[in-house]
Amino acid sequence: MGPALNIILIALLVITALTATFSRDLLAAVIIFSVYSLIMCLMWQRLQAPDLALTEAAVGAGVTTVLFVVAIFKTRRKEER
Amino acid sequence: MKRVVSLLFLAALAVLLLYVVANMPPMGDPQSPTRTHVVPKYLEDAQEETHAPNVITGIILNYRGYDTMGEVTVIFCALAGVLAVLGREKRGRIYAYADRSRVKSSTIVKTMVRFTVPFIILFSVYTILHGEISPGGGFQGGAIIGASMIIFTTVFGLYESSQRIPQKLRLPLEGSAVLTFFTVGVLGMVGGGNFLTYAWPHIAVSLQPAVVVWLTILVEIGIGLGGAMVFISILFSMIREGEEVAVVP
Repeated sequence: MGPALNIILIALLVITALTATFSRDLLAAVIIFSVYSLIMCLMWQRLQAPDLALTEAAVGAGVTTVLFVVAIFKTRRKEER
Repeated sequence: MKRVVSLLFLAALAVLLLYVVANMPPMGDPQSPTRTHVVPKYLEDAQEETHAPNVITGIILNYRGYDTMGEVTVIFCALAGVLAVLGREKRGRIYAYADRSRVKSSTIVKTMVRFTVPFIILFSVYTILHGEISPGGGFQGGAIIGASMIIFTTVFGLYESSQRIPQKLRLPLEGSAVLTFFTVGVLGMVGGGNFLTYAWPHIAVSLQPAVVVWLTILVEIGIGLGGAMVFISILFSMIREGEEVAVVP
C-alpha cells in the first residue's frame, strides 16, 4: 500500500507539473497548479510534516490560486505564442 | 542551435541532480547528518526549554526565532511592495465597483458561503491558539483566515467584504506580526535575557513556564492576525486595480 501510493502520488505530481507548464490556457494551468499543491500537501503528510501540509493546503491551493485567477481576470486568459 | 545547447544543459543538470540524489542517505537513516548534529538536542531539550509540546513550534519560535522574524518581515515587505505598485484605497472610503463577471453567484452558493465561513474562521482560531500543542500555528491559521475572506470576496464582491473588514481595521493589524515579535524580543531583554529569550532569567523559576507559554501564544496570535490582514490587503488591492468606480456611497 505505502510504496504504491508514493509512486502514484509522485507520478501525479510530475504529470500535473508538466501539464501546468505546457497548457496554453492560463486559467486551466492555474487550476492544475492548485491540484499540484494538493498532491504536494498529501506528500508532506506522508513524509510526517503536518505543519507543512497545512501551510501547503492553505497557501498553495487556496490563496495563491485565487491571486493568480484575479491576475488572469485583469489581463488575458490565453498565452501569447 | 539554441535548442540543442539548452537540451544539453538540461541533460547535464539532470545527470548532476540524479547523481546527488543517489548519494543522499536513505530516508529514515539514523546515521544521516541531519539526525546526528543538532536534532537530538532539540528532541531531548525542547520540552524542558520551550514548554511547547509540539517540538516544531518550539524550534520555529524559540531556537530559530531570528529566522521566523526574518520570514515575518519578508511577508510584510511583500505587502509593502504590492501596495507601493497598486496603491491603497482612500482613507475611510469604501467603493462599489461595476460587476463585470458574466456569471452571477446563485443563492445556493451565497448561502453555502455564509454558512461555512464562520466555521473556517473558527478552525483558524483553533489552529492559531492550539499551535504549540498540535500541528499548525500563527502563519497557517492566518492563511486560513485569509482563504476564508477570499472565498467571501469571490462570491459577494469587494464592496461587501471591505465593509466587513474595513481599512481602519486592517491598517493597524498588518504590521502586528513584526511588531509582536519585536516587542516580545525586547521584553526578553528587559527580563534579563538576550533578544528573543522567552524564559526571563530574572523572575522566579516557578513562574517561568507560564511566561514562556503565554509569550508563545502572544507571538502566534500576532503572526496569525498580521498574516491574515496581509493576505486580505493584497487581494483587495489586486481586485481593485483597473476597475471603474460605479457608485461612491
